[in-house]
This record gives sequence, C-alpha cells and structure tokens, in this order.
Amino acid sequence: MIEVNNLVKRYGLFTAVNGISFTAEPGQVTGFLGPNGAGKTTTMRVLTGFSPPTAGHATVAGYDVFENSMDVRKNVGYLPENVPLYRDMSAIGYLTYVGEIRGVKQRKSRAMDALRRVGLGKRAKNTIRTLSKGMRQRVGLAAALMHDPQVLILDEPTIGLDPIQVLELRDLVKDLGREHTVLFSTHILSEAEQICDRVVIINQGEVIAHGEPVALREELERGQRIFVRTEEAPTTILSTVQAVEGVAEAQIERDAVIAIPNDIQQDPRAAIARALVENNFNVLELRPAANNLEEIFLELTRGSTEEDDIDDELAGNIESSGVDDDNEENEVVAESSVSETPDKAESEV
Amino acid sequence: MRGLFAVYKREVALYFQSFIAYAIAFALLGIIGLLFTANIVFLLEQSQIAVQTGRSANIQLTPLITQNMGIITFLMFLVAPLITMRLISEESREGTLEVLMTLPMSDWSFVVGKFLAAWTFFTALLGLTLIHTGMLAAIGSFNVGQVVFIYIGTWLYGGATLAVSIIWSAITEDQLVAAFLGAATVLTLYLADALASVATGQQSQIGDTVGEFIRQLGLNTHYNNLLSGIVRVEDITYFVLLIVVALFMTSLVVSTRRWRAS
Repeated sequence: MIEVNNLVKRYGLFTAVNGISFTAEPGQVTGFLGPNGAGKTTTMRVLTGFSPPTAGHATVAGYDVFENSMDVRKNVGYLPENVPLYRDMSAIGYLTYVGEIRGVKQRKSRAMDALRRVGLGKRAKNTIRTLSKGMRQRVGLAAALMHDPQVLILDEPTIGLDPIQVLELRDLVKDLGREHTVLFSTHILSEAEQICDRVVIINQGEVIAHGEPVALREELERGQRIFVRTEEAPTTILSTVQAVEGVAEAQIERDAVIAIPNDIQQDPRAAIARALVENNFNVLELRPAANNLEEIFLELTRGSTEEDDIDDELAGNIESSGVDDDNEENEVVAESSVSETPDKAESEV
Repeated sequence: MRGLFAVYKREVALYFQSFIAYAIAFALLGIIGLLFTANIVFLLEQSQIAVQTGRSANIQLTPLITQNMGIITFLMFLVAPLITMRLISEESREGTLEVLMTLPMSDWSFVVGKFLAAWTFFTALLGLTLIHTGMLAAIGSFNVGQVVFIYIGTWLYGGATLAVSIIWSAITEDQLVAAFLGAATVLTLYLADALASVATGQQSQIGDTVGEFIRQLGLNTHYNNLLSGIVRVEDITYFVLLIVVALFMTSLVVSTRRWRAS
C-alpha cells in the first residue's frame, strides 16, 4: 500500500514534484505515467526512502517515508532506472550481497528462488558484466525481490529492452502485482494499458489524471488528430476526408492524411470511416495520430498557439524536465482536455 | 551493523582481487626493500670496520624500523588516495549508491564499512614490513615495546590519511580528481610542521600561536612523539579524532546526495 498526500519535492528553486496525491493498492499494479521529466523518478525516490520530501506526506507499507525511513526501506523493493549493478559480481553474488545488507535469512536459496522467478536460474553464476541488458534488468528485479517486499517500485523497467524481453518483463510485473503492491513507471501509454489496474498520469510535477487505463485512454484520445491511410494515394482522399462532418481540416503527411476534428469533445473517426467506405476507398489504417503518451501530450498541446513554437517548447520541457514559467500554457491546455477525468474515473471505481 | 559488515567484506575481497592493490604493495615493498638492503650493507661494513679496528660496534636496529615506517608515512600521500579514490566515487558514478541508499543501512555504516576495508588493506601492507622487522629481530635485539608503539603509531597514521582521502572520494565522482585532492590534503597535513615554522618565524605573539595551532594539526607532530616511544593520550586522541571527524564528514557528503537532484 502506498499513500501519497500533497507531496512536494523541490531542488533549490526547481519544483520537481508539486503537490501530488494518489494511492496504490495491494494486489494491483499501479502505472505511473508521464513524459520524461514529469517527476516520476523524483516521486519514486521519495517513496523508496532515498530522498526526503520537501513538503507533504507519503506512507509506504504503513510507514512514513520521512519519519520511518528505515522501516520503509525494509518493506520496499526498488529497481531504479538504468539498473545500477556491480558489474564485477556474479548475479547470485550480487543478490546475496543485497540480502546480507537487508538481513535476509538463507540468502543463497532465497537468491536462487528470486533468480528462478525472473527466469535467470541458469545464469546465476555468470558475472553481471557478461549478461545482456534484458538479463541485467531482471537481475535488478530479482534483487528487489530478495526480501519478498510488500511494495515494489519499478522505474521504467522496460526501457531499452527488445520486444520479446519487454513482453516477458510485462508478464512478470503483472504476475508480481497479484502478491505485491506494484508501482510501475513508464511513458508508454499502451504498456500501462496492458499491465496496470490503475494509472496515475503526471506532468510537470502534478497529477493530471488518474483512474482505470481504458477510460483514461479514451479520454486522452478524444480531440486528437486522426491518422488516415488508404490503399489509394492521400491526394485522392483528401477532399472526402475534408468533407466529413466534424473534421475542421485535413492535410497530407507523407503517405497519409491527418484530419483535425473541429470539436475537442468529438471523435469523427466513425464518420470518416463511413465516408471513405461509401466512396469505395480501401481503408488500411484509421487511428489517433499519437500512439504513446509523449505524442499524446504533444497532440494535446498542439494548436493552442503557433504549432512549431509550442512543439519546440514542449520538447524542450520534456528533455530538460521543464523548469520555467512558460510551461503554464501547455499545462493548462493539457489539463483542460482531461481535467474532468479524475472525477469521472473516481466515480467509476 | 549488518550493512557495515556486508560492505566491509565485499570491499576487502575487492582489494585482494584488484591490480592496483598489488601494484601499491609491490612498489612500497620495493622501495622499502632497496633502502633496507642499503642500510644493512652499510651496517655490515661498519661492524666489519669495528671488528678490524678492535672497537666494539654499537649498532642500533630500531632506527632501521623507524626508517621503514618513515618511508610508509611519507608515501601515504600517494598510497592513501590510491587506495581510497574509487571507494565511493565509483558507487556514485555507476549509480549503485542509489540502490545502497534505499537499503535499510545508514549512510554512516556504509562509510565506516568502506573505511575499515581500506584500513584492513593498509594493515596488510604494514604487516608485510614485518618481514624486515623479523629479519632484524633474528640478527640482533631491540626494544620490543618501542617497536610495538612505532607500529601502532604508523597504523593510526595510515588510518587517518585514509579517512581524510575518503572524503574526496565521496565529494567527486571522478577517481582521478579524488586522488589528486586526497594527495594534496594528506601532503598538507604531512607538511604542517614546515608550514608552522613559517608562522613561528614571524617573531610575533600571534605568529607563535598560529604556528603552534598548525603544528598541532599536523600528522608528524603527533607521529614523531609515538616514534620516540613517548605514548601520550593526546597523540592517540589526535589520530582517532581525525579518523572520526573525517568519516563523519564523508557520511555527511554522502547524505547530501539525498537532497540533490539527479
């Protein structure tokens, strides 16, 4: 169980996390979503007892992160981003080392269990240096499981893995979610949708939406630009798409047409499909233009001012974890598009 | 305590697997061995001359041991930073420090575990000079009590220089920078005697006070007392206090990581 209440974390003048609140329940995987630099890692570092909050409260497994840091650390398994490991140690050696610091009994057998759990039973004696990136990720996860913690905090565990490894890891996390409280951060919306029971979305240090992933996805997709691809050349379908009711504008982008809805609350996808089929076009693809969360954020902020400016600005913010005041505009736009989500999602739960 | 011991065990094991540790041991023993041999040869000539001229040869063996220790204490400005430079800087550079800091272990235990490992390695180095001392014991006799205190003094001296160098390993992620600054710090403490005499040379009341203050901060002021066989509580206290204060500062530096971004 994780309870976060008005958590604020500042580094000097820079506010990384600005009063976020959410809970993560036992027996569930809670997805922690947001673009890079949104404050996910900072929040997780507070929750693992690594760094104290500037203001607000957070309890993990019933212990306050500030007042009972040691108890929090005893009950949390943490896999940091980039998975730092001792490359000169063997997998089993590393796990027993972590277990020794944690005071785990029967370390060798616990370490073997943990390694088997992540599918590395046969690689136990290998030096970590010789393991592939995916295997290292799993060694890190096994280390987080050594003491069978109540709470697991995983910071972007799927980043940098190949597609098969990503699938394996997602299955594993889903599985772990049945016995533990899992907080799992990612910036890929579809990933959260696949494995999370609940999702908390943060941007620029604030929670902008939380609820069940499917509902959130629908919410986020609404008002987005629509990507239309047909067997025919985009020039031939442009006028048809443009004529559809609810489409404000359509333009050609490489081999597809991008349709912009005229109302943020409407989804003209069905109407576009109908129009295309009626005109005997062969539709290959019809979807929201954005696939992952970052694209959705870019999509949501598009059009509020001149496109290029805002794109650069937002891209800059995402890269540099957004420090300045200029962001307010983006924030407002992003919020206005999904602002009613929290209430809605809450009422659904 | 659990964490401290785990960190200590891992670090000690690493020392005895690392190339640089053996390189240091090799270089140190090489230098000591050369000078020691030269001294023995010189002493043998002296005693032969003494026998030939019919005079009794009054050969002191303790200065030979003192000289060996003098080589070690002088070289500590290189050895201590080399031993300690990677201890903490590597952990912060590799990011493993972040994992350790989320384990139920205090920053103090972590730092003390690291330090004790370095000190253990130094103790092993110091132990190697027992070869020479043993040889001397075989050919002559000396005041065992004094030699024991010489060893204890050198051991404390080594611990203090290691503790001082460790601070830099916590401050910077760059091992070379840590080593360089460590060397500068240890050398300053080593040369405090000379620095103090600059101040006392001013022939003024304030100059004398400042000079004496600097002298008391210096390593050699207290070490030389132990060498001459005078055991004073204040000298022992100096070394112990230097170690504790340096480790406390290191632990503080490690803790600041919790307040820093990235």
